[in-house]
Amino acid sequence: MERVVVTGLGTLNATAKSAPGFAQALREGRCGIGPFSVFDPSTFRTQIAAEVKDFNPRDHIPRPYPIKRMSRADLLGFAATLEALQDAGLAPFPPELAEETGVVIGGGGGGLLEGERFYGEYLRTEGRLARFSALSAVYCASSADRIAALLGLWGPKTTFMTACSSGATAIGYARDLIRGGTAPVVIAGGTEPLCRITYAAFNALQAVDLEPCKPFAGNRAGLSLGEAAGILVLESLRHARARGARIYAEVLGYGVTCDSHHMTAPDPEASGAVRSMREALRDAGVSAERVDYVNAHGTATPANDAMESRAIRHVFGDRAGRIPVSSTKSMTGHTLGASGALEAVASVLAIRHRFIPPTIHCTVPDPECDLDYVTEGAREADLSVILSNSFAFGGNNTSLVIGRFDGGKG
Amino acid sequence: MDRRVAITGIGIVSPLGSGREAFGKALLAGQSGIAPLAAFSAEAFPCRLAAEIRDFQARDFVSIKNLRRMDRLSAVTTAAARMALDDAGLAITPANRDRTGMILGTAWGGTDVTVSFARVLVTEGPGSVNPILVPNVVMNAPAGHASIELGFRGINTTVNHYSVSAESALAYGAREIRRGAADVLLAGGADVLAPFYFESLTRFKALSPLQGGGSEGARPFDLRRNGPVAGEGCGILCLEPLEAARERGATVYAEITGSGMASSPAPMTGWPDGPRGFILAARRALKAAGCTPEEVDIVFAAASGGLQPDLLEAEGLERIFGTDGKRPLVTALKGALGENFTSGGMRAAALALALRDGVVPPTLGLEEPVRPLSVVVGQSVRGAFRRGLLNGISHGGTYVSLLFSSVEEES
Repeated sequence: MERVVVTGLGTLNATAKSAPGFAQALREGRCGIGPFSVFDPSTFRTQIAAEVKDFNPRDHIPRPYPIKRMSRADLLGFAATLEALQDAGLAPFPPELAEETGVVIGGGGGGLLEGERFYGEYLRTEGRLARFSALSAVYCASSADRIAALLGLWGPKTTFMTACSSGATAIGYARDLIRGGTAPVVIAGGTEPLCRITYAAFNALQAVDLEPCKPFAGNRAGLSLGEAAGILVLESLRHARARGARIYAEVLGYGVTCDSHHMTAPDPEASGAVRSMREALRDAGVSAERVDYVNAHGTATPANDAMESRAIRHVFGDRAGRIPVSSTKSMTGHTLGASGALEAVASVLAIRHRFIPPTIHCTVPDPECDLDYVTEGAREADLSVILSNSFAFGGNNTSLVIGRFDGGKG
Repeated sequence: MDRRVAITGIGIVSPLGSGREAFGKALLAGQSGIAPLAAFSAEAFPCRLAAEIRDFQARDFVSIKNLRRMDRLSAVTTAAARMALDDAGLAITPANRDRTGMILGTAWGGTDVTVSFARVLVTEGPGSVNPILVPNVVMNAPAGHASIELGFRGINTTVNHYSVSAESALAYGAREIRRGAADVLLAGGADVLAPFYFESLTRFKALSPLQGGGSEGARPFDLRRNGPVAGEGCGILCLEPLEAARERGATVYAEITGSGMASSPAPMTGWPDGPRGFILAARRALKAAGCTPEEVDIVFAAASGGLQPDLLEAEGLERIFGTDGKRPLVTALKGALGENFTSGGMRAAALALALRDGVVPPTLGLEEPVRPLSVVVGQSVRGAFRRGLLNGISHGGTYVSLLFSSVEEES
């Protein structure tokens, strides 16, 4: 079995448009949630979101890459991919790696932002004047297709769509492809655009806070929606070493479970969350004692944060109160299909730059949330094993275990 | 350490009826699921045919309480999942539920729900949208509903990559059983027809008769092919470790011995130029299964009647298996099932049955093949088939092939 390491990172999110910028933002506890312009929210109950501000695709995707008809999700995903490849020392992409390099993306809204514009036109003109080519990228598989096509890749390619756990599942699955020898290098991650359909859906469920979200706080009142792309270059240790790549961290394992409880509400018993964390640790071959930071799902909905705190207590027992737990969604917003990947990027940055990102806006305590949420600001720490949670609609849970690369044998 | 992967149950909701028996019989008898579209009007379009689900009552398989919360796609999926479990003779219990799960491929999800939601949002504004619709807008709704109805709590995930979604889900399922991440997985694909989705396919000129050339019909691998006929349906396989299946005395239809995935550069919504990506995926599947091309007896093709994909698959098959000597029999079931984009689940079920029963169903709609392949036409063909290749090919250049093997009776 191959060991799987992270050799490149790329991200665009509401706090930063690069991985180094994201590290800085996480350390400063910078909030990316606020007024936004991707669409006009004036008719909605809430008016804020975590937007990738002033996103000009050509700042990130040089010519001659053709970008016509790509959705915002595709563009964010490809921009983050180019950054991750550059970071990994794989730019321009080496032709000899093209045949076997894979792409695994966790998606969400895909091209719904463009799709809903089209649909408005379609309804207004009773179908006559609408150009259906506007729907070319409406499904989230488009992002992986564009990455593979623009880079000329021939390896395995797939897209997961499990709402808020898509990105984490994509990374776990990509790790398996490498571990089992199917591909030596996989571009893995997630991408999610802000769009009215998603924004309306979460508003209809009354799951959105009027203010920037306050994970684990007693006065938390829902999530803040966001958009982002988070991409990791994953590679077998052997491959990374052979080409002298810089190794940021190791993907140790993952677990996927389901609640079998309710489509949108988490199981108050927290069974699915407990089992996904345990399965990830089992898969990683790491005992719960070795985990020194939990990057929480932490959406700031009343139900999730209480449930997740309970689940963490269950998995870590007496030690739970001494393990730092934080929600980077307090800064990036909830980026849905991208969130698991974005939080994997945050976890790798935390290992590399030796700090724990804070939970911001968490000032009012909640007796149901009684763990150490790193509310005072980023904390210096030498992290060796991080557990990162992603829990989704449909009761889909994914936990990832990411560790400091300890040298050792490949 | 790796475990062998057995197919022990089959669940089908299809244009050829529900359940493995009706489906298998109809395929072997050469019946077509294609007929004039009945569920909604297609008068405005050049495409009037479709392969619609028939002989299916969701109530027979899904509790009324849960059914009320489901869209049609979720109901179809949940019903097929229950059939697969029942067929495998498995009951979900507190002892096995945490190691039982589902990996579903859906190409389009519940398009009807998304369109209803978007219509209200666009015409009446965000204050009027119905929160009840929200869960079913998301692609992972069917697998989530199935888990709630059936009570399994293990791996649950949804692959959403166009017309290789089902094959990808099967490959993922087999991988997870093999490495021991789960003990029972329901894997396959589901998609259903709906008005806006059907209109989109016609407006993308994705269906026969394309832009009006020739008469409408599904003609896989045929020289006169002019696009696929839209279809719908769901095929779910129950996967278990072979050893566990044998221990509990389960029927084993076939074994999944390997899978291969590949990509190729292709234009957005278009097809790649040549067969290289498909050849890579098929050869990777053979390699993973430790099998030579000469050892493959049957091929269940992805061909649907599409101009480019059928040609690239035919060229690829020639390159992999040669043009003379022993070549596998080929069948293209989309001639009977139409193109539902996740027919991989149904075709996988048909392949498993063919390996168990030693009989391959015919390809409908084929008269003059685009390449000299050994395609089964007219009547089903009997034989002792040991190994079969299942192909999935998608626009945008994505390929998944799986290798299935027949299982010897335990001596």
